Amino acid sequence: MISRGLMSRGTFWSAVLAAAALALPLFNSSAFVIDIFIRVLLFAFIGVAWNLIGGYAKQLSLGHAAFFGLGAYTSTILLIRYGVSPWIGMLAGGVVAMLASLPIGALCFRLRGPYFAIATIATAQVLMLLFLKFRDFAWGAEGTTMPNLGDAPLMMQFEGKAPYYYIALALLAIGLVITYLIERSWMGYYLVAVGEDEDAAEAIGVDAPRIKRNVYLISAFLTALAGTFYVQYIYFIDPNTAFSFNVSVEAALVSIVGGIGTLWGPVVGTVLLEATSALLESWLGGGHGGVQLTVYSLILIAVILVRPSGLIGIVADAYERLVHVSAARTKEVPLDG
Amino acid sequence: MLTTVAQAVVNGLLIGGIYALVSIGVTLIFGVVKIVNFAQGEFVMIGMYISYFLAASFGIDPLVSLVVSMPALFVVGIVLQHFFIRRVLALGDMPQIFLTFALSLLLVNVALLLFTANYRTVQTSYSETAIHIGTLYIPMAKLIAFAVAMLLSGLLWVFLHATDLGKAMRAAAQNRDVAMLMGINPDRVFCIAVGVALALAGAAGSLLMPFYPAYPLVGQVFVLMAFVAVVLGTLGNVTGALIASLMMGVAESLGIQFVGADSGLIVVFAMLLLTLAVRPNGLFGGWNR
Repeated sequence: MISRGLMSRGTFWSAVLAAAALALPLFNSSAFVIDIFIRVLLFAFIGVAWNLIGGYAKQLSLGHAAFFGLGAYTSTILLIRYGVSPWIGMLAGGVVAMLASLPIGALCFRLRGPYFAIATIATAQVLMLLFLKFRDFAWGAEGTTMPNLGDAPLMMQFEGKAPYYYIALALLAIGLVITYLIERSWMGYYLVAVGEDEDAAEAIGVDAPRIKRNVYLISAFLTALAGTFYVQYIYFIDPNTAFSFNVSVEAALVSIVGGIGTLWGPVVGTVLLEATSALLESWLGGGHGGVQLTVYSLILIAVILVRPSGLIGIVADAYERLVHVSAARTKEVPLDG
Repeated sequence: MLTTVAQAVVNGLLIGGIYALVSIGVTLIFGVVKIVNFAQGEFVMIGMYISYFLAASFGIDPLVSLVVSMPALFVVGIVLQHFFIRRVLALGDMPQIFLTFALSLLLVNVALLLFTANYRTVQTSYSETAIHIGTLYIPMAKLIAFAVAMLLSGLLWVFLHATDLGKAMRAAAQNRDVAMLMGINPDRVFCIAVGVALALAGAAGSLLMPFYPAYPLVGQVFVLMAFVAVVLGTLGNVTGALIASLMMGVAESLGIQFVGADSGLIVVFAMLLLTLAVRPNGLFGGWNR
């Protein structure tokens, strides 16, 4: 398997990558560049969270914005109404998202494949519509800005962009470590079995509903952390931002383009898509609504038709060639197959 | 009170006819090809733009441009099935879902680039006229759209039940392998099923144009309705989709009337989630999931 191949000989390169990631803000102080990297890290993290349920268990959710939004609103309400630090709010948001994932999962897991995806879209949309409608509860459609507390690390507010970068990096690292641990545990093997053929997995004694529910809990928790971080970073929240359909789409998109059901797939996918998007913006300038998603969808169609296992295979092949391994190993395909 | 309810029911039935054209297409593709077409709403959008530009450039009535939008989208459907969907049929859920999903994203955003997000409308001689029956107010454009939608649904039913091709389609839907053994060419049947489904979406677009604005995201309203109706009406069941669509239209209209103008979608989604909770197989049985 690709990820194992990368891991066994890749400890050195992982260390180099980690060191480079940690050192980046020291060498580049341009807010524009750091901002792009923060977006890459954040969406890679959301992709990693999505990948647990969407990639390994193949439950193709298009409603992760529900958890992103619940995380964002929980911490914001705690901060503005009760003055609770977003660090605590972040964890509270994660817990709220986990609690929400239970009824959402109970409903949506009744359906398989495309209709699971549609049901998850509906849950995220219902939450958005509810937050739009009930304005007394959470500011309605106008949304609200975060109170500016200046340089207050305990309240997750900072002067420069570098601290945000390190938070996003830490989140991604946490997501990857959790994925790595799950991938190697009995749960990971059960998940893959459920993803390959749910009926067959149940026939050999895998408790598929329980496995799906548990990994959905973890995925919801992680996605909610990203929601809190994002609204703290942009200092603003409204239902259309917090429950944005684009969040749900991008979570799935980066994983698919990179390679679903692989540890590094969402990271590879995000780097590729965000790099494309940044290049497009520098060529065309802003204000061309639709260009970015047009290109994203073309990339997605190309990946599905040409290489449905995702681009991580290409990256891994290049890596294998680089370190001169036997030709047999390069033929191995990622989990998705 | 009673007249308000009656008026809301009439409004709901009229728009429900359009929902029916979209959801019959979705359920037809699902029944025959076993693919959920996430881009069905975008083909409604394309049908609307075809009618809009024919009306704006040549003054052609949107009802007349049906004869352009339906064949054009039929051909698009054959191309879509033959060159794209066919290639993912043997693959798993992920490519099957995300191919049409990506297509939907692509069409919306290309439309945004080409036509901008502006709303475009067509005024016809019957756009503002209406029939009054007692206290009921029935807009002419919606009535015509409803009547044509029901006519097309009826024709489809006849096609599926009385022609060899239609029977072959239903056979392929029930059991692809046995149908192949009986000499049915599944590729041909699949192409025609997708073509017919897209032609219905195109018809929905043209019928909407006299009373509904065209904009790049317009399809999402209709496709969401269609998905709910298709689940409610049991996946793959054409008659079920028709009845469920009319019910959805009425439910949405009552929701707007009694819960609030912004609550139509909440009612629809609530119905979807309720259906999933209580009867995940839909109300009508029929071709199984």
